[in-house]
Amino acid sequence: MITIKGIAASPGVAIGPAFILTPDTAIFEKKKIPAANVQGEVRRYQEAIERTLEDLNKTEASAQELFGAAYAKLLKAHKLILKDPMISQGVPARIEKDMINAEYALYTAVQEITAKFEAIKDEFFRERRFDIADVAKRLFENLTLKKQNKFAAIKEPSIVIAHNLYPYDTINLKGKKVLGFATDVGGKTSHTALLAQSMQMPAVVGLSTAAEKIKNGDIVIVDGENGLLVINPTPEAMEAYKKEQGKIKKVEHSLKDINDLPNITKDGHRVSLYVNYDPRRDFKEMDIFTSEGLGLLRTEFLYMDRFDPPSEEEQVAVYKKAASRFDVRPFTVRLADLGGDKISQLGLARSQEEDNPFMGNRGIRLFLKYPNLMLTQMRAIVKTAAEVDAKVKLMMPMISSVEEVVQVKKYFKTVLAELSAQRITPKNPIDLGVMIEVPSAALSLDGILPQVDFVSIGTNDLIQYLLAVDRTNQEVADLYDAYHPAVLRTINFVVQAARKKGKTVSICGEMASDPEMVPFLVGIGVDILSVSPRMFLRIKNTLRNLNFKDCSNLAQAAILLSSSADIKKLKEYYKTDEENT
Amino acid sequence: MIKEEIEIKNRLGIHARPAAMLAQEAGKYQSDIFIAKEGMEVNAKSIMGIMMIAAEQGSRVQLTVQGADEQEAMASLKDVFNKIFEEE
Repeated sequence: MITIKGIAASPGVAIGPAFILTPDTAIFEKKKIPAANVQGEVRRYQEAIERTLEDLNKTEASAQELFGAAYAKLLKAHKLILKDPMISQGVPARIEKDMINAEYALYTAVQEITAKFEAIKDEFFRERRFDIADVAKRLFENLTLKKQNKFAAIKEPSIVIAHNLYPYDTINLKGKKVLGFATDVGGKTSHTALLAQSMQMPAVVGLSTAAEKIKNGDIVIVDGENGLLVINPTPEAMEAYKKEQGKIKKVEHSLKDINDLPNITKDGHRVSLYVNYDPRRDFKEMDIFTSEGLGLLRTEFLYMDRFDPPSEEEQVAVYKKAASRFDVRPFTVRLADLGGDKISQLGLARSQEEDNPFMGNRGIRLFLKYPNLMLTQMRAIVKTAAEVDAKVKLMMPMISSVEEVVQVKKYFKTVLAELSAQRITPKNPIDLGVMIEVPSAALSLDGILPQVDFVSIGTNDLIQYLLAVDRTNQEVADLYDAYHPAVLRTINFVVQAARKKGKTVSICGEMASDPEMVPFLVGIGVDILSVSPRMFLRIKNTLRNLNFKDCSNLAQAAILLSSSADIKKLKEYYKTDEENT
Repeated sequence: MIKEEIEIKNRLGIHARPAAMLAQEAGKYQSDIFIAKEGMEVNAKSIMGIMMIAAEQGSRVQLTVQGADEQEAMASLKDVFNKIFEEE
C-alpha cells in the first residue's frame, strides 16, 4: 500500500480500479507527400480546422450552459489561437514548402511555438502555452479523424489517473463510468477542481508524481476529504475506507431532512449559517439547502484570464444574477483581492517584480493604488443594490490599519454621491465591513470598529500571517496549524472586541467549514459561520448536535492552553458524535 | 512597402491588452504586416507572434507593411500604438 498526499479538490471517497489516461506525447511520423497531392493535404488540414472550430463552438455552448461564462470565455480564447495565422496559415505553408503530411507540419509548428513561449519572461504570456497545447490536441484529433474518445475505453466504473486533466477533458467526464479522479498537477481552485466539485466527483490533485506509480487496474482510493490517494490498499485500509464511504453516504442522505430545522444548538443557542458562493458554479448543490444569506462573494474570478478589467455593466450583470438567489437576504460582496501578479495583465503599470507577493501589493492596497479599479467595482455594487431586494454588504479585503478603512470609505462616499445625483440609490443602506486577515488589523480592531458595520474573519490568510507559514510551500505546510494557540486567541480577541461594540462577527474562512473547528467558534461566540455550499448541511448537522454550554467551556479552556497538542487533546474530550443525528 | 521604426513609450511595453489590440487591428487589412525586434520578425496579425516579441518600454520595433492597403494599414496601426502609449 502506498499513500500519497495531495490537495483535496472535491470531497467524498471513491474506490475502484485505476484507469490511466496516457499523456499526449504522440510524435507524428514524417511522410513525404507527392507534389500532385500537396493541395489535397492542405485542404485536409483546412477541413480539420473547420471541424475543430465547430467542436469549440459546440463545447462553448455546452460549457456556458453547464458551467457558466468563465469556461465559455476560455473557449473563446482557444478560438483566437485556432485562427492565429501561425496555425491557420503557417502550417499549410509548411505542407507546401516541405511537401510533408499535415500532422507532421502541425506537430513541428506547435513544437516551435511552445518552445518560444517557454522562453517568454512574462508569466501570463508563458502560461498561454497550455492553451496552445489544448487547441493543438483537438486539431490533431480532427486531422486523424480518430477522435480519441479516451474515456470510451473505460469498461467498468473506474478512477481516472492522469498527469493533468484539461478542462475540456473534465467536461467530458460527465456521464462516463468515472467514480473520481486524481492528477499530478493542479490546485484547489483550478478549473479542473471546480468542475469536479460541480459534478460531485471526489478528486485529489497536486500529487506530483502519482501517475507513474500506478498501473492500469490497480485498486486505488481517492480520499477527497483529506486529499489522499491510496494505491493498492491493505484489507484493513480498504475496510476502513468502505466504512467511511458508507458513513458519508448515510450522513448525506439524512442531512436532507434537517434543512428545514432551525440553526440552533441542542440547548437553543442560535448561530447564523451563511454560504460562501461562487457564481461560476451555479449548481444544483445550492438548491438542496437554505442559507440565511451570502457571507462571501469572491470577485477575483471576474479579473482572471483576460486583458481588460471587467466593466461596470459586466459586474452588475454577474452580481444581479447571484443576488437573485438570495431574495431579501444579506448578500456580501468582497472587493476584489487581487495580487500584484494580476495587474500588469490588466494593463496597469507595476514598478517591480515582488519578491514576496503575499506581503506585497494585494487586496485593498492595490485598489488604493489604482482607485479606478475600485471605483468601478463600487459603482457596480451600488447599482446592483439599487436594483435588487437582497441586503447588499460590501467587504474590504486585506485591511491592515484604520487609515485604509477611512480612505476606502471616502471613495465609497463619493460613489454614493455621484450615483445619487443620477437618482441611483441602494434599496437598502449598504453595510460596510472589513475582512480581518492581517494580524495588525486584529490587534488594532478597537480603532477600526467604529468605522464599520461588521467584521468577518478570513481564517486562511489570518493563520498564514500569524504563523508566518505559506501553506502552499511543501517545506513548511505542516506548520500551518489552525489549532495553534495564537490562532484561537486572536479569533477570540476579535470576537470579544466586536461584540463589546455590538458589531456582528462572521467567520468566512475554511475553518467555518471544518466540523472539528465549529465547537470552538460557536463557543467563542461567533454570530455567523459562512460555509462552503458542499459542507453546508454537514455543518448545520454539527451545529445542531452541539451543546452551547459545552462549547463555551471548551473555548474558554482552549484559549488558556498554550500548545496546539494540548488543544487537540482537549477537543477529544468534547467530541460530539456526528452519527447521532 | 512602407517601413517605420517605433519606440515603445509606455511603461508596460506591448503587454496583453496592447497585443490583442494590435493583432485585431492588423487583421482588418489585406496587406502583409510584420513587427520586428532585435532580429526576430513576427506576423502582426498573430497574437501569439506579438506575445513572443513582448517588447518592453524603451525598445524599438520595426513595422513593415506591404500590400494594396498599406497606407491605411500603417496609419491605423500607428494610431493604435499611440492609443497604447497614451493610456499609461
